[in-house]
Amino acid sequence: MAKDGVIPLSPGRKTRSSSQLLPSKPSPQNVYPFSSQTQSQELFHCLYSSEEPISLATLISSLPRRKPQILEILRLVGSLNSPMFPLLIYGGPSNGKTISILQIFRYLNRPFVYAGCRTCYAPRILFDSVLRQLLLHGRNPIKGNSGTKRCEKPSEFIDLLRIALVQAINALREKNLKSGSEEVDRGEMIYLIFDNFELLRSWDKNSNIVPLLLRIHEILKIPEVGIIYISSSTPDAYYLCTGSIEPITIYFPDYTLEDLHGIFMRNQLNPKLYSSFLSVVLKPFFRVTRRVDELSVAFQPLFQKYCKPLVDRSVVPDEAMKRKLFDNLQPYLTVSLNDLFMVLSWTSHQIKQEGDHQKKGIRKSNRKEASNELDFHMSMSAKYLLLSAFIASRNSATLDASLFDSSGGLINRKRNKNSQMSMDRKDSMAEEILLKGPGSFPLERLLAIFQCITSVTESMVEEEKYENGAAIESESVGLTSDVLLQLSTLCNANFICKSGSCPLEGSTRYRCTIDEEMAVRVAKSINFPLSSYLYRR
Amino acid sequence: MVHSPSTTCDFHSSPISAANASDVSDNNLQHFFVLHKAPARKCERKTSSTYGRTKRKIDMLLSSPMKVVQEENDAIYEQVRLEAFENTWSKINSTVKEVLREINLTLFEEIHQWVFESFSTIRCTSPVHIMKPYPIAAGATCKTIPAALIFTKNIEFVDDMLMFQDLKGYMQSNGCHAAFLSALDISTKCGIGSCLRSLYKQLVPEASDVVDVPLIASWYCKDENYDKPIAVIIEDMERCDSAVLADFIKMLSEWVMKIPIIFILGVTTSFDALRKLLPSSVMHKLQLCKFTLESPRRRMDSLIEYVLVRSSSGFFIGHKVAFFLRNHFLRHDGTITSFLKALKLACIKHFSGEPLSFLCPGMLHEDCEAFWSGKCESLSEVLRSYAFDLPSCQRGKTNGDNNLAQGLSKLKWLQKSWSSVVLCLFEVGKLSKIQLLDIFCEAIDPTLCIERALGQQLLPPFTASHDSVNGGFISQAIQKVRELPSDSLCQLLGQWSLHTEEVIEMDKEVKAVHSMINLPSDGHTSKEKQTVNIHGCLASSARKKGTPFLNDEAAMLLVSLLRKFLVPIESVPFHEIFCFKDVASLKYSLAQEYGDLINLHDWYHSFKTKVLISNPKAKRKVQHSPASKKGKSKALENEVARFCKAVTELQITGLVRMPSKRRPDFLQRIAFHL
Repeated sequence: MAKDGVIPLSPGRKTRSSSQLLPSKPSPQNVYPFSSQTQSQELFHCLYSSEEPISLATLISSLPRRKPQILEILRLVGSLNSPMFPLLIYGGPSNGKTISILQIFRYLNRPFVYAGCRTCYAPRILFDSVLRQLLLHGRNPIKGNSGTKRCEKPSEFIDLLRIALVQAINALREKNLKSGSEEVDRGEMIYLIFDNFELLRSWDKNSNIVPLLLRIHEILKIPEVGIIYISSSTPDAYYLCTGSIEPITIYFPDYTLEDLHGIFMRNQLNPKLYSSFLSVVLKPFFRVTRRVDELSVAFQPLFQKYCKPLVDRSVVPDEAMKRKLFDNLQPYLTVSLNDLFMVLSWTSHQIKQEGDHQKKGIRKSNRKEASNELDFHMSMSAKYLLLSAFIASRNSATLDASLFDSSGGLINRKRNKNSQMSMDRKDSMAEEILLKGPGSFPLERLLAIFQCITSVTESMVEEEKYENGAAIESESVGLTSDVLLQLSTLCNANFICKSGSCPLEGSTRYRCTIDEEMAVRVAKSINFPLSSYLYRR
Repeated sequence: MVHSPSTTCDFHSSPISAANASDVSDNNLQHFFVLHKAPARKCERKTSSTYGRTKRKIDMLLSSPMKVVQEENDAIYEQVRLEAFENTWSKINSTVKEVLREINLTLFEEIHQWVFESFSTIRCTSPVHIMKPYPIAAGATCKTIPAALIFTKNIEFVDDMLMFQDLKGYMQSNGCHAAFLSALDISTKCGIGSCLRSLYKQLVPEASDVVDVPLIASWYCKDENYDKPIAVIIEDMERCDSAVLADFIKMLSEWVMKIPIIFILGVTTSFDALRKLLPSSVMHKLQLCKFTLESPRRRMDSLIEYVLVRSSSGFFIGHKVAFFLRNHFLRHDGTITSFLKALKLACIKHFSGEPLSFLCPGMLHEDCEAFWSGKCESLSEVLRSYAFDLPSCQRGKTNGDNNLAQGLSKLKWLQKSWSSVVLCLFEVGKLSKIQLLDIFCEAIDPTLCIERALGQQLLPPFTASHDSVNGGFISQAIQKVRELPSDSLCQLLGQWSLHTEEVIEMDKEVKAVHSMINLPSDGHTSKEKQTVNIHGCLASSARKKGTPFLNDEAAMLLVSLLRKFLVPIESVPFHEIFCFKDVASLKYSLAQEYGDLINLHDWYHSFKTKVLISNPKAKRKVQHSPASKKGKSKALENEVARFCKAVTELQITGLVRMPSKRRPDFLQRIAFHL
């Protein structure tokens, strides 16, 4: 969300849009953040937000439409050195939760430990990350690496955490005493922030990690510790796990259309132009997604397209121009709306490419890709095997007998003679098959169909050869390679997937995952009459 | 990876199969060849258990035409031949590598350029407080990871594994950190930890086992690492576990400002694969860019051009072998790897089977005649008479002289002019999208009667154009020359004159026509263009008249070159020394390469094809008769019965083992190298 909103406040941070606006004036600390001198300083400031503290007004203005939530959090966190209950902040993804908390602590300028459960992908890593941040602060620079011991078990973690917290708090106290009135008092509280808390539930091996972290405040019994959880799933998801006091919840609601408009309007070079762009774009996209990250990814290339006809981007558009620009944009708009999730990211780069340099032969449009040529090589037998898998998935097993005769040939069904009634019944059956999706089949059936269709085509091919009078090679279709090898190749390409074993037979069943378009393309490349093998109308 | 060790081992045992092959070359050997040969081998085995191998060798030699040849200093010549083989193959191999590298190089350069462009975009949103474990609060657009999709155009990715390794090397030597993740690293079993571990281990060899992103970040922050992007190559994306890959991408996308990771993903099939594999929320985190590898066919074309036509190796293949290799490539997995495997096998077979094959490297010598005459003088009488008894030499019979070295030199000259002409054809083929492999196969055909192939081309172009499709690829190429616009015609002739430089006779003719085309165009191009603009149709009609004349002239030139110089190697005396023709034994050995398990279904198929082909007429009848269905099913039953009986017999003789429970459709072959 308001991730864009932060920009004017932090001199080092820039998005692409803002970097054009602001001349970069990085603070000296940020220019060479890795030289040895600053590194020790870095360690020392580890528990604080490394940026300049901000005022309440900038805090609120930097996070548009989040004022009530921010004030609520500030109230709950309380004034300096006041203990707090655990907080659970929840709301949809890309909603401004994390950034709000981080900005709030920048405003408060109090020490905190941040642990994102996405980056810390396992309990061990999570424990490690928390402890390392605490120890970096708490340890005396002279002592060196005191607490690099890794902890494996939750109980160990709690012990170490308690020690580390006490150390850190003592260090804070000492510092406050030493500095006296020179520095601003940062208090004696340490806050632990657990982000992406919902991910913990999927660490199924350690099902006790969620209750452990939820009860951590009770277990530690240190009043100088504040706990904040950030989650994109609702609190209900955790109630089952705990036997403790529920944390106080704060809900971040989804943004409304106006909110989003406000967010996107921030830091624009030409607000009038961007506003006219948003008035075209925002509404249709809002119906698809409300996530700021997705929207901003989608808007960036579209805005480039929108501005393309303009020579001067600082122009203030009048009505006629707006209409003209809209007409220009419309074709792209529909395309990117349809493919919002997938192709847009790819086109976005493409556009940039075109705009930047006009080079590289990577400009194949997505429409072109849908042509009916197979654009990668597959061996003959792999193609046949894929088609037989497709047939096996599409037709129900009971229909095989009516499709193939005993010798493997295709029975020509006479369609004209069917009565209306049976036609209807067949129609509904075919539809049902389509609705059910690809069916699974055992290996034996696949091989049987494979044999049937190859035997038919083989004889066809041979016939052609004799008619041409050129029996150059005895090789017929070239189906000599190992069928199972081909099958595993197809499985690797995700064209066929293994779909668990059948409980009765115990053998692996397969499922063909390609769509009909692809199957038709494959069939075309080997002149295989696929449509006559598919059961429908 | 490219060549299994078994291929190399084969070298020592292959005299048997090669000698063997000479008398069965007309039979088309496949799996069931076991049937015919088995009993003899079986007996032999019983009688000779310990010294079986050597004895068998002698047996085979006795029956071979070159038994006398072999008896004399057999060992010395074998050694020489082995050396010649190694020499030749290493030449071929290095050529192949060179060619493939050359092909990939442009792609690598493009990717490299793209990587640095993306890197600078990331960098311009300058990172702050990199050590902090919490996300940088910046726009969502900055959280996307640049990802190159490399479409490898082949569902089999054996060839590409090498390519990706090369890419890693290339990236590393050009200012990137590069890591290479395989599908094994990204699997459900190991989870995301193993991805990170493998990534970090490649960046820092002496890494510990527990790795998290902050660790990588702190490594990256060191001064010596800081100015480079990190390219993460995932060779075969489709095989990765989608959940783990998605987590991996999400995790890294949060850090992309601090650790500029750039993905390079190999995709074997199509864009849809990616769409299916990753959820949309993850796709949003990737900023995709598409790159395409040269298609397997194009790669093959360049291989053919450099390895078999420009041939600097001294090893040639006959028409049948070429045709087989072509089919093997197109219908089989379409990988260069399997093609090279077959080619190597052919090479091995040639050098081990052909007594005079040690003369091959002479092709490479500057002064080949001196090299050969030196060799030939020291040649034993037996070998000399063997050389003059070669069928091609007997057939030619023009030789009043008995000079082997001269004959070989002549062959070299003919071969050189042949390859020059074929290269000229290739140039045309490149223009008209004809596969060079097809042209090659046609040009190498000894039965190719140029007159017949070109017969229609001598007619006026308009009548000929209708038949040109049937007329084979060479006549298609000639037709193409007639239709070329003048400027590309000029370019083409320029290319031709480059290719024909070394053959003086050809060079004259090409130069003559080239200057004819060049002269008017040199002086008049600018003028003519103007006149076209001003006078419209008048000038253009004049131009139209001129062009076909030049086109005809060029086509006639090509035809005359083809007539004079396109002499397929198989119709030249002594070609047996350089040219491998025994397609049957090649097929047989390739079939053996597949290991000891025989798929019953495949086996039955090849059996059936064999049986059916032996009487094609009968089959046709069955197909066309009105009672075909019954007849067919009966014939089928018959076949199945024959097949079952044969297999049972083999089992009783102990040559195959019955299927196990685990793999019910497979038989195990017990006898090898029959």
